[in-house]
Parts: sequence; structure tokens; C-alpha cells
Amino acid sequence: MNFIQFFTEGITQFFTYTGFANASWGNLVMIVIGLAFIAMAIIKDYEPLLLIPIGFGIILGNIPFVDGLQIGVYEDGSVLNYLYFGVLKGVYPPLIFLGIGAMTDFSALISNPKLILIGAAAQFGIFGAYIIALLLDFTPQEAGAIGIIGGADGPTAIFLSSKLAPSMMGAIAISAYSYMALVPVIQPPIMRLLTTSKERVIKMRPPRVVTHREKVLFPLLCILLTAFLVPSGLPLLGMLFFGNLLKESSVTKRLANTASGPMIDVVTILIGLTVGCSTQASTFLKVESLMIFGLGAASFVLATAAGVSFVKIFNLFLKEGNKINPLIGNAGVSAVPDSARVSQVEGLKYNKTNYLLMHAMGPNVAGVIGSAVAAGILLSFLY
Amino acid sequence: MNKKRLGLISFFVLLFSMNAFTQHISDLRLNEMLINNVDNYIDEYGRHVPWIEIFNSAYNNIDVAECYLTNDTTGLADGSGIKNWYRIPKGDPKTLLSQRSFVVFYMDNAPLYGTFHVNFDPCEEGSSNYVALISSNGRTLIDIFEFPEQLRTSTEHSYGYFDDGIKGVEDANGNTVSNKGFLDYFTPGSTNSVFMGLTKSEKVAQEDPYGLGLAFISMSVVFIALILIYLMLKLFARMNRGKAAKPAHGEVKTDAVVPKTKVIAEEFTGEELAAITMALHLHVSGQHDEESEVITIETPSAHYSPWSQKQLTFKQSPYKK
Repeated sequence: MNFIQFFTEGITQFFTYTGFANASWGNLVMIVIGLAFIAMAIIKDYEPLLLIPIGFGIILGNIPFVDGLQIGVYEDGSVLNYLYFGVLKGVYPPLIFLGIGAMTDFSALISNPKLILIGAAAQFGIFGAYIIALLLDFTPQEAGAIGIIGGADGPTAIFLSSKLAPSMMGAIAISAYSYMALVPVIQPPIMRLLTTSKERVIKMRPPRVVTHREKVLFPLLCILLTAFLVPSGLPLLGMLFFGNLLKESSVTKRLANTASGPMIDVVTILIGLTVGCSTQASTFLKVESLMIFGLGAASFVLATAAGVSFVKIFNLFLKEGNKINPLIGNAGVSAVPDSARVSQVEGLKYNKTNYLLMHAMGPNVAGVIGSAVAAGILLSFLY
Repeated sequence: MNKKRLGLISFFVLLFSMNAFTQHISDLRLNEMLINNVDNYIDEYGRHVPWIEIFNSAYNNIDVAECYLTNDTTGLADGSGIKNWYRIPKGDPKTLLSQRSFVVFYMDNAPLYGTFHVNFDPCEEGSSNYVALISSNGRTLIDIFEFPEQLRTSTEHSYGYFDDGIKGVEDANGNTVSNKGFLDYFTPGSTNSVFMGLTKSEKVAQEDPYGLGLAFISMSVVFIALILIYLMLKLFARMNRGKAAKPAHGEVKTDAVVPKTKVIAEEFTGEELAAITMALHLHVSGQHDEESEVITIETPSAHYSPWSQKQLTFKQSPYKK
């Protein structure tokens, strides 16, 4: 009799610890979102390196459990909490920038310097979204963190939101990565809307050959120029250009390979998984998150429109033969290389021999620098 | 004569030096005080007890050792009160206050607890509403700190000078008024002049509610940063153009190939050009014809583009020649 009583009580008690007993509708909704991310990555090939860790992280973060077992990402001492520290304190984003720097070839930018200005113009998306967020009663810090989604740069968005609005970081990161994955869907209609059929077939001059010396000097001079102007952008800009120097110096091949290979892979896994985990239903499923998604979309649209419009205006001042195809204006957002790929695909639609990819890589990498500079400015004003 | 003059100069230099290094004990100020310490500053025993802060308003070190602290100045005139007052012990290095620094004494009537625990407690019944700091001679009052009765019950505010050690300030009419009152923040061991201004974010919200100013400034800075890089790259291009203009020794400069390239680009599709480029690459790099993999220009059946692979969009790491 005692044994049966013990058995039933034990089973009942055990049940209270299970996810089934603690599940809420919010958890289930988030798990479905996580599965959708994974499906998007596998079936549609949308940013799989990011969406699979994030999607799985969302599932992990929304498995219901009893508090106090030191397993949740927000519980002190849990493994996930330790890993989340790198996100919370902005450790991972600069490391990812190191890898990006070691991967990026700035030749397209060096060979055609005027393309860098497109990268600056596209940052209007950030500040446009900032203004709209302020109108929607977000605080300046929150508005700044939301606006950075328009930079289309996941690590920068995480870095800035971890400083300015840590409570919104999960929603901001998910929003930024989602829209980066949806760049091929969001950008083309705006590009078509803002360009004429004549502009879309503009052929650009092939880029000139860039010397080794130029490539080595580029990161060194860029860090001096940008970091002195915006020291608060140092963690991101410093790592970006340091990674690039490792690559271009050609004498640190091993370091460059590690930074652009195993290291960035490890950090991508950690950042993706922990950002996903941070989207627990209780903190994520709010009206605020929906607003962040809406503002994120607005910032992407504004950034794309600003980049394309800037090229059109810029063309007014350029001689025939030097004109820029406005279809590379969208690449001013720093979603590397997806937005440049969109330029290429759209360009080929209107002229099968018009290859815009390498031209679009110029504003694309300029966008990386521009968004890091913009993040530094927001940090210096609002933090 | 010279020796006499030298002696006089040395004497005055010594005199001034001594004056400069003399301790101005009168520069000590009783600066801030809290009696009803519920959840504020704790002593080294973890207790919440009344405390008083002494401030060295001078720009040199002052040792408070051997001075007296009391809340009953009876006997001050003839120095007979010293037996009842708390004499700050000599020999504790912490009693030496560096310029513009602070020290906190606990008024817990527990002098055996250490140097900074005095022998009176303002919470005791019948105790006076002041604390006095008296010099080591027992007759010179250095400072007296009077406090209102409300301080005995106040848990939210300490009482002290709004500006450290400054007893009176001029009001708008030029009259000197007391600079003492209930402070907004407890600051034991640190300055009372705490300015809790607006945070950067609050300031931005106040001065730029619609964000237009910040957007304009930020866009300008982004453009300036990237224009600087643009100018640098233009310089690169100019330097490079100079080199390109000079043909290498023995080379004949010709642009006969350029028109052909244009013709090719217009006649062939992208896939065909890719296949030709690949074939040329294999030929130039001397790779074997029989490859383990099949090279094709057919569109893959899956929704896939080589451009979605990030590593393919970047050039290979350079190698040192």
C-alpha cells in the first residue's frame, strides 16, 4: 500500500517537473517559430548558418521547466547563462567581425572608391527607423537599438542592443537576422520601384587591378581614420580591420584562416544558439516585439530606398560612361553578400551580360564599415 | 656679506616651507551625518549605526589623531571635558587625511570596536543636537555640527553641507544663507556635491524629441568617415595610375585586346563565359582533365546559387610570392 502511494506520488511529482506540466501557449508558439526558422534554412536555403542555430536556440529556450534548476538562459550559473554572457557583454560580435574582416576582400571598394558613399547613404535606414521608433514612444536608447536593424548587420545589432536595450536584444537580433535572410524578398520590389528600365541596364566599368600594397594599407589607414572619428565603434571596427590585415598581410595566413574559419564558426554557433535561447516566450511574446519587427522592416525598406535613390542622385553628377547602375544601391546595407547577390540577380534580369556582383560588393563592404560607424555614433550619444 | 644674505634667504625659505607643510587642523569640517541608519552605510561589523563624516577641506594632509569628538562640550573653556570626550587614537594611519578627503566615524558608543567608533550615541535619550570636533589641546573648537530634531527619524536623507565644508552661500539678494540641509543622497566617505544630472539618453530625449538632430549629426559623421576613406582610396588610385602609366621594361603598351573583350561579352551568355573561364583556368593551372568531380554549367535542381555560399564570394587568401 505504502509502495503504491509512494509510486503514485512520485509519478505525480515527476510530472510537475516535466515540460508538459509547465508548458504555456507562448512556449508552443515560439517552438513553432523555431521550427519555421529551421525549415526556412533547410528548404529555402535562407541564411542556414544563422537560422539553424537560432531556430534550434528558440526551441531550447522555450522548453518549459521549473525555475531554480539552473538550466535556463536567464538563470545564474546555468551553462546557457555562461554562454549567453558573450552576447550580453558584447564579446561575440567583435569576434565575428574579426572573422568577417579576415574573409572580406575590399578590392571592389578600393578599385572604385566612390561606391563607398552608397554604403554611407544606406545607413539612413538606421536613423529613419530611429525617428519612427521615437514617434512610437520608444525611449532614445530603445529607438537606437531598434534602428540598427536597418544596418542589416546581425553582430552590430546584437552589440548595440546589448548595450542600449538588453531586454529587447532577443527580438532585435531575431528581427535583424530574419530580414537579412529575407533580403532577396524585400529588396527587389523597392529596387524596381525606384529605377527606370534604362537605369537598370547601365554597364559599369570593370574594376581596376588592386595592388598588394593598397590592400595592406587599406585596413591600417581605415582604422586610423574611422576609430579616431568614432572611438566608440572601436570594438567592431578594430576587429574588422584587424581581421582584414591578417588576411591581406599574406604573412599571417594561419591566423587569417583560423579567424575566418574555425573561430567564426564557433562564435556563430554560440551567438546563434544563445540569441535563440534568449527568446523565451515570457520575454519575447509581447506587442513590443511585434513593433520591433515592424520597425525592422521599415528600416530595411528605408535603407534600400536610400541606397538606390542616392545612386540616382549621384549619377546626375557623373559623366556618361562613369555612371553607376542604381541596382547596386541596395547593397549599401551590410548584409554581405546577400544584398550584392540581389544586385547581381536583378541586373542579369535586364541584361544577361551585366554582371553587377563585384561592383555591388563595394557598397556592400562599405555598408559593413558604415553600420559599425553608425553603431559607434549611437553608442556615444545614447550609452 | 654673501654668507649673511644666504643665511637670511635660507631662513625665509625654511619659514615658508614650514608654513606650507603645517597642518591646518582648523580646516577640518564635520560634513555629513545620519542618525537613523536603517539600511544605509554599515560598519566593519556589518551593523547599521549612526555615522558622521569629517572632511579635510585643506589642500594638504591633516592628521585627526588626538582630536576629540563629542556631543557634549561641557568643560571646553578650561579643557576639563577631555575625560568625557572621545579622543581619536594616535598611531592609526587611517587618521591621516589626504587633501580634500573624507573619513567616517561611527557614533555607536563602542570605542573598543576600533579607531572610528566614538564613545557617544546621538540616539541615546537626552543627547544634544550637535556634534563637536575639538583640537588636541581640549580648548579649541574646530567645528560644531548642529542638526535638526527631524534627523533622528529621517531614514531617506542624511544631513550636511550641500557643498563640502562650505557653511554659507550668497543668495540672490547677496545675503549669506546656510548651506546646510537634508541631502538627496547619502554620501558617507565621499563628496556631498553629487550632481545627479540627466543621463545621456534623457538629455537626448529632452533636447531632440523627434530624433532629427541625432539623425542629421549621425548621418553627417557616417558620411565624413566614409568620405575620408574615399579620399584615401582616391589617393591610392592616383598613385597606382602613375605606376600603370609606366610600362614594364621590354613591354609594348597596347590596348588592342580591349575591343575583342567587349565583343565577347556581348555575344556569349553568362553560363558560356563561366564555362570558358573555367576551362581556361584549368588549362592555365595545369590541372588534369580527368577530374573526380563533374563540372557542369547546368542549373542545379535544388534552389541553390553558388552566391549564397559566402566563401565563394571572396577571393582566396593571398600567398606570398
